[in-house]
Amino acid sequence: MSFKRRIPSNHANLPPGTRISPSSPSTALISTGIPSLDDILGGGLPLSCSLALLAPDNHSAYGELVQKYFVSQGIACGQQVCIVDDDGLLLARGCMWTSVGSSASSPPVNNDEDDGKSAQSDERIKIAWRYEKMKMFQTTVPSCNSSKDDYCHTFDLSSRIPESVVQDACDTNRLVILGVHADHDVKVSMTGLLGKIQDILSVSSETGLMRLCIPSLGSVQWGDVEPADVLYFLYSLRRLLRQYPHACASVGLAPHICSEAWGGHGWIHKVGWLTDAAISMSGFGANPSLVGLFPSHHGLVQIHKLPAPHTILPASDKYSTLRGLSSSAGANAGSGENNLAFRCTRKRLILETIHLDVEGGVTERRTTLSTNTISLDTGLINEVIDEHTNNKGRSRAALEVEFEKAVSVTADPLDSQPLASSQSAALDAATTTPKVKKPKKKVAFHSDRPDLYDF
Amino acid sequence: MQTFPPSDLVTDAGLILITDELPAPADFLLHRFLHIRIREVKQSSCIFLSVSEDFDRVKTVASKAALNLAQNAKIKFIDLVKGLEASTEKATANADARLRYIIRLLSSDISTMDAAEEQILVILDDIASLEWLGFSTLDLFRFSRALKALCLKYGAVLVIRHHILNASEPGHLFQLLLQLCSYHIEVRPLASGRSGAVSGELCLHPGPCEGEPRNRLLSRLTALQYRLTDGGAMFFNKGTSEGVL
Repeated sequence: MSFKRRIPSNHANLPPGTRISPSSPSTALISTGIPSLDDILGGGLPLSCSLALLAPDNHSAYGELVQKYFVSQGIACGQQVCIVDDDGLLLARGCMWTSVGSSASSPPVNNDEDDGKSAQSDERIKIAWRYEKMKMFQTTVPSCNSSKDDYCHTFDLSSRIPESVVQDACDTNRLVILGVHADHDVKVSMTGLLGKIQDILSVSSETGLMRLCIPSLGSVQWGDVEPADVLYFLYSLRRLLRQYPHACASVGLAPHICSEAWGGHGWIHKVGWLTDAAISMSGFGANPSLVGLFPSHHGLVQIHKLPAPHTILPASDKYSTLRGLSSSAGANAGSGENNLAFRCTRKRLILETIHLDVEGGVTERRTTLSTNTISLDTGLINEVIDEHTNNKGRSRAALEVEFEKAVSVTADPLDSQPLASSQSAALDAATTTPKVKKPKKKVAFHSDRPDLYDF
Repeated sequence: MQTFPPSDLVTDAGLILITDELPAPADFLLHRFLHIRIREVKQSSCIFLSVSEDFDRVKTVASKAALNLAQNAKIKFIDLVKGLEASTEKATANADARLRYIIRLLSSDISTMDAAEEQILVILDDIASLEWLGFSTLDLFRFSRALKALCLKYGAVLVIRHHILNASEPGHLFQLLLQLCSYHIEVRPLASGRSGAVSGELCLHPGPCEGEPRNRLLSRLTALQYRLTDGGAMFFNKGTSEGVL
């Protein structure tokens, strides 16, 4: 007698590349292609849900990158993908792909190729006994290592999708490109486009699940869109997805329409209410001070809404490790959510928790107050007596310590009085409106430079 | 552990305005009204006028609360936008005319229910989306006023959900709706952001149309906090744990 292992019926019925949501057995999830984004969404994007991705930074294309991951994952799983864009084929050809030989080995999370550290040496370090049982500090979720699991493939940004794969997908109707073809009447052309999407959805309902990708809603090809048009489109798209629950959609909003300056008061909340999931990835492109504050990340992630198609509580609240809200966290029960950020390495896009540096950082040696503090007495002179005065004839060392605005120079003991008064005048002239964060802390000894104020 | 809403709020009040914000949505409260009504009130029927919510979700959430809505013929689910689109095939595409069509549709439904001597609960979810989709504030105010008059005529309880975008400037439609309501339930997120243990807090304010509020009111200082679960919410007083933590 042989005992045959019975496959649970759930698994047999699931289309490839899907998974059952941990919080609700009637919800099927698909992967967005980025494991950390899947984690934030509660395991993946549920079918019949729409995800709105806002990327307000005009100087970068992270929103489009996420859409490419979405398309690549769909093609890799053999699912149907529909790209709603005039240049959809170009987008598909620019997608990333799994690297050659990636199924054999995939790098563990902590061993980032950019770091150059090897994980092996860490294991041999003898950790203090009370910390031995703790897990290694991880800022993100590990990518899926098993090659048998086709839920989420490990894509490599340095390898492009082979043309043959794209061609094959087009030929077998698994990749459909729908042009926007907007004309002067935006509302009418949007209604027409929604009709075409509905036709595609109804045809594909027999053949399995479908991913709709709208990479840049509101961009130039859509014509002169107004906020009301965008809201109408998002709302109608969600209604269509409810009608055809085998499909889901990922909508990227064009950068200029992601801000309240364009959409009006409460714009982002409106987008959140009219979609099932809304996430912002704000790149640091326009803001150099943030680049300095978070040097190892490329932007912040804000979660506005999470999908909960069959439950009151979004699955992400209980199951997301990145957000850290689950009450099974024990000591962390009742604590707030983790701050999230993203970074784009050479090989992948990662969303992870963000932590502020130890004050001062580990690379900078500081001898005075942190430059992030706003000195209460800017305008007064801060005299710092330095031990390393360089005696060069005039026995005066020029020590330049930069605070927010205060600049101090060691006073020459001989003529301290007139120096003090002239420097106070110079300081007053030099103070400008204080910045909140100074990007770089400098402790510099300019022993060979002449004094700033040469009187 | 506390319970909310108090049962006479579900049965006797006139118009209950529920406002919420994106970090703290109030859909759990609407589902709760529905469940309490179906479970506790005999001879009761409900009309769910939906703009954003879909019936599958209502059914699934109700099944988690051990209520089988598919077999329960007492609940009628009306897709408002579908009704509005259907009305454009009639005379004019005027927004006002379309909303009047919905009122006529509803009035026939309510009158049949009333003829069967049933207590009626009407839930409108939600009115803010209609405003964002292009209906003017005036049209929506008139629509809600007409709805309220209809419900008052048949002794039905009306619950309207409205989204607030900015708590300090709630908007003109909110001010108009507030004038009509008997009770205002305000669902707010915690000021300190999202937390695992507390999902938000809710307050119960009296509205101008209720002469003597019979229920225990909850001001912002004594707000009831809640925590969402898969099928609903648990309520507890601020600062207490009461079986939640």
